Amino acid sequence: MSWILIKLAWRNIFRNKRRTLIASIAIGIGLAALIFVDALMIGMAENMVRTATASFLGDAQIHQVGFRDVQEVSLTIQALDEVTTGLAQEEIVEHFTQRVLTSGMITSPANVSAIVLVGVHPPTEKFLSQIDDAITEGVYFEDESSRDIVIGAKLAETLEIGLGDRVVVTVAQAESGDLSQEMFRISGIYQFAGEEMNSGMAFVRIEKAREMLAIGNAAHEIVIKFTSLAYAQDPTLPFWETYSEHGNEVLSWTELMSQLTAILEMTQYSKYIMGAILFGVVVFGIINTLFMSLYERMFEFGVLRAVGTRPFGMARVILFEAGALAIVSIGLGAILGFVLTAVFAHVGIDYTGIEMTGVTMQEAIRPIMKVEQFFIYPVWLFIFTIIAGLYPARYAAKMSPAAAMRRSF
Amino acid sequence: MEQMQKTDVIVTAGVTKVYEADGVPVNALNGIDLTIRSGEFTALVGPSGSGKTTFLNIISGLDGPTEGSVWLAGKVLSEMSGNELSDFRRDNIGFVFQAYNLIPVLTVEENVEYIMLLAGVPKAERHDRVIAMLEAVGLAGVADRTPTQLSGGQQQRVAIARAMVSEPQIILADEPTANLDSKTGADLLEMMRHLNTETGMTFIFSTHDPMVMEGATRLITLRDGRIDTDETK
Repeated sequence: MSWILIKLAWRNIFRNKRRTLIASIAIGIGLAALIFVDALMIGMAENMVRTATASFLGDAQIHQVGFRDVQEVSLTIQALDEVTTGLAQEEIVEHFTQRVLTSGMITSPANVSAIVLVGVHPPTEKFLSQIDDAITEGVYFEDESSRDIVIGAKLAETLEIGLGDRVVVTVAQAESGDLSQEMFRISGIYQFAGEEMNSGMAFVRIEKAREMLAIGNAAHEIVIKFTSLAYAQDPTLPFWETYSEHGNEVLSWTELMSQLTAILEMTQYSKYIMGAILFGVVVFGIINTLFMSLYERMFEFGVLRAVGTRPFGMARVILFEAGALAIVSIGLGAILGFVLTAVFAHVGIDYTGIEMTGVTMQEAIRPIMKVEQFFIYPVWLFIFTIIAGLYPARYAAKMSPAAAMRRSF
Repeated sequence: MEQMQKTDVIVTAGVTKVYEADGVPVNALNGIDLTIRSGEFTALVGPSGSGKTTFLNIISGLDGPTEGSVWLAGKVLSEMSGNELSDFRRDNIGFVFQAYNLIPVLTVEENVEYIMLLAGVPKAERHDRVIAMLEAVGLAGVADRTPTQLSGGQQQRVAIARAMVSEPQIILADEPTANLDSKTGADLLEMMRHLNTETGMTFIFSTHDPMVMEGATRLITLRDGRIDTDETK
């Protein structure tokens, strides 16, 4: 019984091909828009996370508890050797590097500026940050000179200095608080999209930074890159507990950049709201199409009722038509969504230099397609279409056969 | 109704139908009492607006009377639910409409077997009965065609096949020859007369066609919602 009604519904929607095509395209555009927006948001989120983690933050960081709050140079990582030995053996850790961090003053003959001085280990730092890639003048610690310093273009401009010029960096030592000064030579100038890094940071070799701060072989920060970014978002890993001992804390990027995490969660909600609006439009489109089709074939519906089709059978015809319309629309929408997303994934959408929640986009956003987009949204669309079909279906079920065939019997 | 005869297939008692047209009550039927017996070949005639259509709607359960009762094959139609009425029509009444009565997206075979599908008749039996019925109406070999590929006369033959395939007690036909040329109409009428004689099914027509009136064994004339004349030939 259902089979003939399905056949009837499927063939009916192709009776007026133009109308079905227009309605399906309209519904399909809604689906395609949803697939595209979802892909765009995933692409944007991944871009922001990648920018945040790859440029300097890393996937996770280890500090002594309290260091992030007060930036006190004496709060170095406890049991550093044990921690680094452990990290070297972790299968999920691809790379890690140590850093020394302190605030200080950089002085040129022309000017003075407050900075965050970062002591880095160049061979491993290159895997955890993109400073080396961002060098626009000079080199990134290629010489063995301990007096090389790499600064941002904006800071160089403020200090009115260039490559090879000398600057003096002043910091306060850890234990005594005595001022320590060292002279450095500008060996590299980098240009980052983020203004903060361009104007307020300077990089020196970690050994020199340790010497200036008189902290021995200690480090303030270990930056970690996992073999997969997904590990950073898996709180069930024993990793987090293992490295939160000895008074240290290990934090993933989601905790280090909580505002970014919040924004990404918010984008999920905005996606749901947009989805609800799109589906709302689709629902009314479907109701309209089904009613137009129903009014056009009123006599036929009357005949079907007259020859013995039960009211629920009539409702099923309409629901099957709604389902058939959904299937055609899903096909069109999925193709359109795929093409649209694939094109923009190829060309990208240029957001370079735009800062959002402290993250400055370094590269074009490329929408990312996921299999779920071509499964979950179509299923939702199908369900919504069937729900939309309930109203005209109820109308068809309640229709009096005599009224439907008023021009005959 | 205790005195209803075994051969009485349709009995109406005081059937009245009042429509509201723009708030004005219109009496379409005014207390019709009528009995139609099994095997009759009856024509309902009368001018437009005389109540033929309304009467056919009411005796088939497509519409309900404002007052009065209808017994069809021993059942009181007003006491049935929507589903019961649908099933009752499916099993007991065959309909032939004036035009556009076939479902254009279904093939001839699918149109004819539709009622049997509703009744849950097995596929093999459905197929055999469809083929036999199409042969009976002179349309062997068109089962796979769609209605639009047939002439008007052929379409009406398919409609008759559909109406008769489930072997109902009554065939109700609304102006079945109105859209046909006189030769095709005559052939069709002859075929229905033949089926009536062969199967003993009851045929009730509403018609303006003198040829149908002439072929009918009983002629009921309606005027202003009342039975004007009732002649048995």
